[in-house]
Amino acid sequence: MDDLYREVIIEHYKNPSYRGKLDPHDISFADNNPLCGDHIQIDLRVDANGVVSEARFDGHGCAISQASADLLMETIIGKPLDEVKKLNKQDILEMLGIDLGPVRLKCALLSLKVLKAGVYGLGEAGDDLVE
Amino acid sequence: MIKEVKLRSFRPNTLPHKFEAGTPAIAEAVGFGAAVDYLTQVGMKDIAAHEHEITEYALDRLEEIPGVKLFGPSADKKGGVAAFTLEGVHPHDVAQILDQDGIAVRAGHHCAQPLHEKFGIPATSRASFYLYSTKEEVDMLVKGLYKVKEMFG
Repeated sequence: MDDLYREVIIEHYKNPSYRGKLDPHDISFADNNPLCGDHIQIDLRVDANGVVSEARFDGHGCAISQASADLLMETIIGKPLDEVKKLNKQDILEMLGIDLGPVRLKCALLSLKVLKAGVYGLGEAGDDLVE
Repeated sequence: MIKEVKLRSFRPNTLPHKFEAGTPAIAEAVGFGAAVDYLTQVGMKDIAAHEHEITEYALDRLEEIPGVKLFGPSADKKGGVAAFTLEGVHPHDVAQILDQDGIAVRAGHHCAQPLHEKFGIPATSRASFYLYSTKEEVDMLVKGLYKVKEMFG
């Protein structure tokens, strides 16, 4: 029954490896999930070759949103921005290793939306970024 | 209301009539009548007494759980609701984990976002009780919350 809260999710929620802020940074973006108030800020450092060299997230919210943000940071460090742009919903679900209903899916996808809005330099993190 | 209906077109009536729906809420009125009959038969005083008793029991039991913080007045000053937070666990996670054991609570702002902001909390979880709720179900809720604590402990 605890599938949704696999140990890995609880662990990343309680002891995140990439929580924090980067100063200076090359990219920074933040947004909320208006339904539940979850908030995520993501800071990135990108090297001369367009590869993510450092990534941090900050914010508050449920275990799903915070754990997925931490896992996402882990995934993108060392990846070129072009690859980061290609990440989608399926990648997040595979990262979490769970299947989510529509409501909790929004929690899981918040960090990816924020990340992509930042990478693309957009004004807001829309749902279309993760489809 | 409509002025004229053809097979492939229609003309609405003039204002304000065009905003008045055609068929009145007949099914709803009949359903309401049946609900009133049912509640009258059970007895509104008995329903209120049960609701009060179960809410008071729930608030007492919830209060015993370390880390649970209750919001709102005492049972005699409100309906059958118990809004709470559990320290260290997001209210949506609380609701989700309870749900996996068949315990349905609501999580969110409950149409009172400014109040949650005033309390400095992201949301609350809220159990509600009525005529059909039992003390055994409250006990299940309490047990479920201990399980949540254990998972996030």
